[in-house]
Amino acid sequence: MVRPKRAAMRQPLTFAVPKGRILDEALPLMARAGVVPEAGFHDKGDRRLAFPCEDEDFRLIRVRAFDVATFVAHGAAQAGIVGADVIEEFDYSDLYAPVDLGIGKCRLSVAEPAAGAASIDGASHIRVATKYPALTRRHFEARGVQAECVKLNGAMEIAPALGLAGRIVDLVESGRTLVDNGLVETATIMEVTARLIVNRAALKTDPRVAALVERFRELAA
Amino acid sequence: MTDPTADLLPIGLEDRLPAAARALTRARRAALDAMDAHGYDRVIPPLVEFEKSLATRMSGVATRRMFRFVDPASLRTLALRSDMTVQVGRIAATSLASAPRPLRLCYAGEVATIASDQLDPARQRLQLGAELIGSDSAAAAGEVVALAVEALIAAGATGVSVDFTLPDLVDTLAAKALPLDADRVEAVRRELDAKDAGALKDAGGETYLPLLYAAGPFEDAVAKLAEIDAGGALASRIEGLRQIAARVGGAARLTLDPTERHGFEYQSWFGFTLYAEGVRGTLGRGGTYRIGGSDEPATGFTLYIDPLIDTLGKAPAGDLLYLPPEHDPAAAARLRAIGWRTRAALGDNENPAALGCTHTLDGNAPAPL
Repeated sequence: MVRPKRAAMRQPLTFAVPKGRILDEALPLMARAGVVPEAGFHDKGDRRLAFPCEDEDFRLIRVRAFDVATFVAHGAAQAGIVGADVIEEFDYSDLYAPVDLGIGKCRLSVAEPAAGAASIDGASHIRVATKYPALTRRHFEARGVQAECVKLNGAMEIAPALGLAGRIVDLVESGRTLVDNGLVETATIMEVTARLIVNRAALKTDPRVAALVERFRELAA
Repeated sequence: MTDPTADLLPIGLEDRLPAAARALTRARRAALDAMDAHGYDRVIPPLVEFEKSLATRMSGVATRRMFRFVDPASLRTLALRSDMTVQVGRIAATSLASAPRPLRLCYAGEVATIASDQLDPARQRLQLGAELIGSDSAAAAGEVVALAVEALIAAGATGVSVDFTLPDLVDTLAAKALPLDADRVEAVRRELDAKDAGALKDAGGETYLPLLYAAGPFEDAVAKLAEIDAGGALASRIEGLRQIAARVGGAARLTLDPTERHGFEYQSWFGFTLYAEGVRGTLGRGGTYRIGGSDEPATGFTLYIDPLIDTLGKAPAGDLLYLPPEHDPAAAARLRAIGWRTRAALGDNENPAALGCTHTLDGNAPAPL
């Protein structure tokens, strides 16, 4: 097939995907939408961060989940896949989440030691260890509680036992990690699935972004 | 030893050095000229006003984001302007209240906010715009959109794209056509704005889902919207949109996103956002609204052209004529009159090329260096 000249000359769309959990489920879906990275993407020895795709209109970047949202919100990437937890945490105004992909199901929950969190909480505020300070603060604010957040980047389950915080807010899939660390889930903040996200300006100005949204919509339906 | 932090500028504030300043000045003048040419008279409101007067015309615009301080003279709170639209609204409602309508005004000036945006660190921006006061009809909106596109192209933008929206769409539909409990309206609006189909269903706005798909290139999207149009509640709005699109014609790429509400907190039936090729964010927006206080209908737009300067690149400095010591001042004046820029020698032994000059005055005529 002869490509129109303009298509060959224009910049590829940058599609951001998170490392880890969601990626394995996302790749087959992306393939059906026509986003297939070259073989090097699956090679652990390949240290590149950006990969061309079989369709020259796309380029894939693999970054941390929180950075997927940041790249897309700033328009450095035009589209991406990320969990609803990350979208809500940032609440970026220039980010659209038009398609619920129904993959990467889990929930964002509050958990505390089986014996309760009282020993660490103050009278008027509570202390929470989390990767999601904004969501956590909003959740407790809505209940009239001021939450002091300790930002951790992983392994929050250990924080209550060591007296760093009374409770934690984290993603829960099976609940196994919580049980193993002597914690119980006390509230669900939100149910989480992965979403297709796109940059607001890119959606409005580049017809390829709208076409991509349309393809994912059909797949998710 | 000097302290390297002593001359730091606060975050979000920057100097425009000659090349960027030249580009910005040129773009600003061209955009103002375009508005002036269409009969919009320029007004120059002050930098600082009483907070209360700004606030009453800023419904939906947070005064919390303004620099505020106490006026030693009146002991009232003053605010540094963060949006000139409200000042033009005040002028229309006070000094020019008795001027014949429709009243066409334009403005350009610096605005500041105390806190930067999540995505844009700038706390000072150049705002340009025009307001057509006394009408919010489709004809007025057509004129304003066409003028906004023309001003933006004059400022140097290419590949301009305009996204239309219907800011009060949810309120209009929730009243009758697609009934919605009052306490759900806000959540439905929020999820429509975020284009989050999953969350929209959860918020109880399932009947609003088709609206998400009525977005895209104008002709397709407006046809889809017309199909959805429950009970003809939107008929006049759709007709208005078509009229505006016809007025803009081929000057810009047109898209429609009826549920877009971002930045349209105080617009009424019609709003639009301006984009240009190579510029990441929006370059401006506008729409129909009612002036706070007087409740007079109006249509207008605002441009923030700073991001454009970064993509335009450095404006070429152009030719610069060196005037050696003992040159003929009359010859230099004649050359300036026909458009030459000159830079005069202050002493002997200067290097004209190092001073940025491209030519030197040789007798009565410029000679290339």
